Amino acid sequence: MRFTGFGATHVIASSVVWQARTLTFACALLFIAQHTPATAGTVVISNERSGDLVFMDESGKTNDIVPLCKRPRGMAQHKSMGLLYIACSDDGQVIEFDISSKHTRRIFPNLPGAMSLAIHEQSNRIIVSNEGAATATVLNIESGEVLASLPTGHEPDGVALTVDGSKIFVASENAGIVHVFDGITYEPVKRLVTNLRPRRIAIRNEELWVSSEMGSRVEIFDIISYEKIDELIFAPRGFRSEQLTPVDILFDQAQSTAFVALGSANHVVIVDAVKRKILKYILVGRRPWGLALTPDGKELFVLNGLSDDVTIIDTQSRRPIRTSRTGLVPHSIEILK
Amino acid sequence: MKFQGFLFLLSLFFSSQAYASTFDVTILSLKSEDQQQKGKTFAGITVEPHRPVRRAVELALFESTILFDTLDIDSSLQQIELDPNTDIRSQLAGISQSSLVILDLPLALMEQVAKLTHELNLVAFNVRHSNAYLRESLCMDTFFHAIPSDNMYFDALGQFLIYRGWRKVLLIRGPSERDAERAETLFNSLKKFGANIVDQRVFTLSHNPDDRDKNKPEFLTGGVSYDVVAVIDSQKDYGRYLQYSTRSARPVVGDVGLTPRNWHFGLERYGAPQLNERYRSFKKNHLLSPQVSMTDAEFAAWSAVKLITNSINSRTDREDLSPSSVLIDPASQVDLYKGTRGSIRQWNHQLRQPILLATQDAVIAIAPMPKFLHPKHYVDTLGVDAPASACQLR
Repeated sequence: MRFTGFGATHVIASSVVWQARTLTFACALLFIAQHTPATAGTVVISNERSGDLVFMDESGKTNDIVPLCKRPRGMAQHKSMGLLYIACSDDGQVIEFDISSKHTRRIFPNLPGAMSLAIHEQSNRIIVSNEGAATATVLNIESGEVLASLPTGHEPDGVALTVDGSKIFVASENAGIVHVFDGITYEPVKRLVTNLRPRRIAIRNEELWVSSEMGSRVEIFDIISYEKIDELIFAPRGFRSEQLTPVDILFDQAQSTAFVALGSANHVVIVDAVKRKILKYILVGRRPWGLALTPDGKELFVLNGLSDDVTIIDTQSRRPIRTSRTGLVPHSIEILK
Repeated sequence: MKFQGFLFLLSLFFSSQAYASTFDVTILSLKSEDQQQKGKTFAGITVEPHRPVRRAVELALFESTILFDTLDIDSSLQQIELDPNTDIRSQLAGISQSSLVILDLPLALMEQVAKLTHELNLVAFNVRHSNAYLRESLCMDTFFHAIPSDNMYFDALGQFLIYRGWRKVLLIRGPSERDAERAETLFNSLKKFGANIVDQRVFTLSHNPDDRDKNKPEFLTGGVSYDVVAVIDSQKDYGRYLQYSTRSARPVVGDVGLTPRNWHFGLERYGAPQLNERYRSFKKNHLLSPQVSMTDAEFAAWSAVKLITNSINSRTDREDLSPSSVLIDPASQVDLYKGTRGSIRQWNHQLRQPILLATQDAVIAIAPMPKFLHPKHYVDTLGVDAPASACQLR
């Protein structure tokens, strides 16, 4: 009896301690949340391994960490509504996240291996690539209705829409194909055969830029004729061709400059997008993938997936300014507009 | 049609392989090869799963479905079970000239069949044997190797030991000829990267008390100072008892402990989990349980087929899938799900690729290790490089 009594007391005591700790932690979070409203220029990073979102300011100072889901990867901003959509791969979900209150508003389920996202605000649609199902799903973000399930090759990753929403592009890593779908009828229109392991797609006027991770290049296709126009081959000092594994492609506001993260080659490259000429290679952390520009275009944020940090680059001087810690295995980055 | 006709004339002109808008794969295996007995120790315990490579070949073809559909390519797969008691050459007679031939055969028969396929001008892939002599002395232009060589495996291990600073190595091997041959390859790899082999010892499989210096791990690993024990035990009879029984508390590497591998179920990056999941689930009526993944031989067979199908993406000529033209083209590359693409070494027809260093349940590192640099190819610090090779095909 005495033993039981003692045991029970012990349990109660420790649970009080635990509650007190949780309370302090919650208060701390509340405190941070109240004092750092997310506004334009706020940097949001999804971290695959730690399953959270890191919020930073433009100087790279972390001011909030929000636990979110299992393996958050691709993100997309709904600028006019102040919402952020986040693909939670291992939950097979996309989360609709309210940026100002930092709360999950809604969950879109049944999206196996949800990976990359593209948003079309005008028509209130998001496209999600489902790595686990060889499909891409088109969702109406108002009603939550599934508008279409687009069949792709295995391991779909990058998704993109034309500005007018009339064409949808999905890259299948395994098949080496970019699938083109009609943005209205959702009928398959064309399959573009790419080099090995196409990852991300970026649209510049009537050009489709596709990074080929295992082909070590960026291929450029014409959006109208679907012909391949050109390709960019990279060669930073000290790396062999097969170490160049480009993933994210990002254009500046004017679409005159492109930034490409070179993965295993630990560099970011700046490209004159008009002349398709390489301007500079910048050494960053280990395996850079995700890229984002500040609203004024003066700073480029580069996510280093294997060194768990972000390199901030001054786009004028083309030099790295500083490096900040992220969560574990940072995947995607959005800077609020 | 016009284009096809033109290519047909072109192929006649060069009297080479026929133009292929089809892709045929032929697996040659041994009739009634006892799959159960492979990988068994003298005690009857199975230490290494051995499976026919067919499932991996089917997976590679399955992955190409959409691409083949897009480009209107037909594919076919046939398997011929060779009967060693009748004439082998006549059993190969029906294989199409444009077929990719996968040799899933025991060593002696593979050598014999490789020579026959050479005479018949058929492109054949070794997917099972790491023996150096198949590459270096047999050295035939129709014979390719998708499975890494002993040199590649041991160079990977050597780089890892140097990278970790474990330079003092006690080398222990079994008494068989194959063990002696592999131990020599490991010795040379370790020497090449600057390790210090403090002693070489041979174990015996006996319980004789007079032999205790050679059959008891505590004695076999005593009397000398070392950072790591490297063990060569091709039959897997003895080495598995060395871990946790060494005289000094040191890690064990080689054929047990940390082993160099071609593929592993625990690889977490580079799309490997997706590939492993597909391997288990793509045959809806024959699912495999989690943790089952391709063996090194199966992965090699998968790689061989993917080398041809991936050439559609990596080469400018997307129409010609005949193995002979694809494999001699240096532009042909394969996405191996190991972070660095693979391609064929032109001098000895070995598939260059990264090597995993893994324990039973985790991939610890992927070689080449940092700071091991090659002037031309990132992965060519692993294996016999062009200047050192006795085989100079091109």
